Amino acid sequence: MLNHFAITLKSIIRDRIFHGIIFSALIFLLIPSVASLSMRQVTELAMTLSLSLISFVLLLLSLFLGGTHLWRDIERRYTYSVLSWPTSRSVFLVGKFTGTAVFIFSVALLLGIVASLTVLITSGLYPPERPVVWDVFFLAIILDACKYILLVAFAFLFSSVATSFFLPIFGTICIYFVGNASQQVYDYVQSPATVGISSVTRTAATFVYYLLPNFSAFDLKVNAVYHIPVHGIGIMLTSAYFVTYLSIVIALAALLFEKREIQ
Amino acid sequence: MGGNTKRHTAVLCFCCLLYALIIGPLSTVMGSKPSAEKLGALPTIATLKFISADQKLLIGSSLVMRVITYFGGVVEMSKNNIDVSPDFLMMSRTIHAAVKLDPYNIDSYYFAQSFLPWEVGQVDVANSLLIEGMRYRTWDWYLPFFVAFNNSYFKHDFKSAAFYYQKAAELSGQELHISLAGRFMQESGQTDHAIAYLTLMAKGARNPLAQKNYETRLAAFKQVRLIEKATERFTTKYSRVAVSLDELVRLGFLETVPTDPYGGTFFLQSDGKVGTTSKFSFKKMTGKEQQGGATP
Repeated sequence: MLNHFAITLKSIIRDRIFHGIIFSALIFLLIPSVASLSMRQVTELAMTLSLSLISFVLLLLSLFLGGTHLWRDIERRYTYSVLSWPTSRSVFLVGKFTGTAVFIFSVALLLGIVASLTVLITSGLYPPERPVVWDVFFLAIILDACKYILLVAFAFLFSSVATSFFLPIFGTICIYFVGNASQQVYDYVQSPATVGISSVTRTAATFVYYLLPNFSAFDLKVNAVYHIPVHGIGIMLTSAYFVTYLSIVIALAALLFEKREIQ
Repeated sequence: MGGNTKRHTAVLCFCCLLYALIIGPLSTVMGSKPSAEKLGALPTIATLKFISADQKLLIGSSLVMRVITYFGGVVEMSKNNIDVSPDFLMMSRTIHAAVKLDPYNIDSYYFAQSFLPWEVGQVDVANSLLIEGMRYRTWDWYLPFFVAFNNSYFKHDFKSAAFYYQKAAELSGQELHISLAGRFMQESGQTDHAIAYLTLMAKGARNPLAQKNYETRLAAFKQVRLIEKATERFTTKYSRVAVSLDELVRLGFLETVPTDPYGGTFFLQSDGKVGTTSKFSFKKMTGKEQQGGATP
């Protein structure tokens, strides 16, 4: 598996994805001047823009690495030679996924460091009313990376059965939007505003909520930007949720990939 | 090969030239677009929340920025004597949408406060937005301060103003807010409440200057309360409002006319309320105020 992991990392780097990331890091340079347009929360706006930019870069990486990597290997018949090794398909898939996940996490940390410098400069120029809480800021970035690693897992799940890149790319985009809205829909269904709806609909909505990924659990942007306290138990549960849900998705992807007929 | 490169370079230069010719007129056309087009049509809040996904703070901030930029443009046009009336309704809608996406963003409230009560006269809309914001920005004294100001300045609802100034004072600890809270309590006929509040604040003040200020205001309010009690007894006995403090002294309801520690002179307003020429501050009084025209 380590071989597949290393090969995946090398191929990502060979794809010159770093060039794109360095280019996006240059956008961080503009953040202090853009944030200065705010009337009363310059540092908070700089943090918002930084965290949003990181999320955006991670989303693009998740979509294009997660959605195309496995599919492209199958398409180029690269998998045939690899699968002739004394290794199972599931090990190949898990190795590739781990390589992609580690890359996503490393990029998040790298961009997090650049973002922290941006925020540091902005807060020096425009001292905020409330001090920047750096541990929550970095926690928000780490959880964001976890969210996108989960999204990559879905991209691998779709890739394991897809015959073209449409399903991995568009399926992952759908999961991204649905995962971000699932908590909102659940809250609405459980609210007093929906007294009139039938219990069947309510149960079905709750079932779908449990089934779909809940990306809102990974969103600590508000806490990081506005100094809102973070609940330790919530973070622990989110971490446990991440590990469990990720394992289920990857296990399912591996199972489907094992059974897939590759011609 | 060399010929190809030259041809490609020539095509590229031609395209750049074409772009330079087009970009100027395009900017002019974009600049003259109607306000609704500039602010753009807003989808429903539910749709906005869905499409914002995990970028709600960013979209919220960008909506506020869009309104600020738009309003700035309109103001700039007015300065150049170009008559353009801002689309306040769309501005208000956009700010409300921004608040739904990011209820913590102070820029939304700050900007809404700058135009809703002033330009549009929508004091209640501004207040409801600010009060909603207080649920989120629990540490921020600006929001209750704005509500208090709107209530006192625009609505003349001094009781409510006192309530929100007190909230602002609790959050900021600023002497100004404490003084304003006390003053509006007195103004709304809650002099006892104001005295109790200022007594508490004076005891807790660490700064000697602030403590001195509270004590002065407290002393003034105690004098006001003394006069109020005398007028109440007078009204009970004579079934009418006393005309002046001299009348209260002459008929034995007051021993002497109480002294205003701020250096002003107490007087009775036509509705029987107690006023002072100092307006409860040490500022230099104008001749008009000294003639008894000023009310607190």
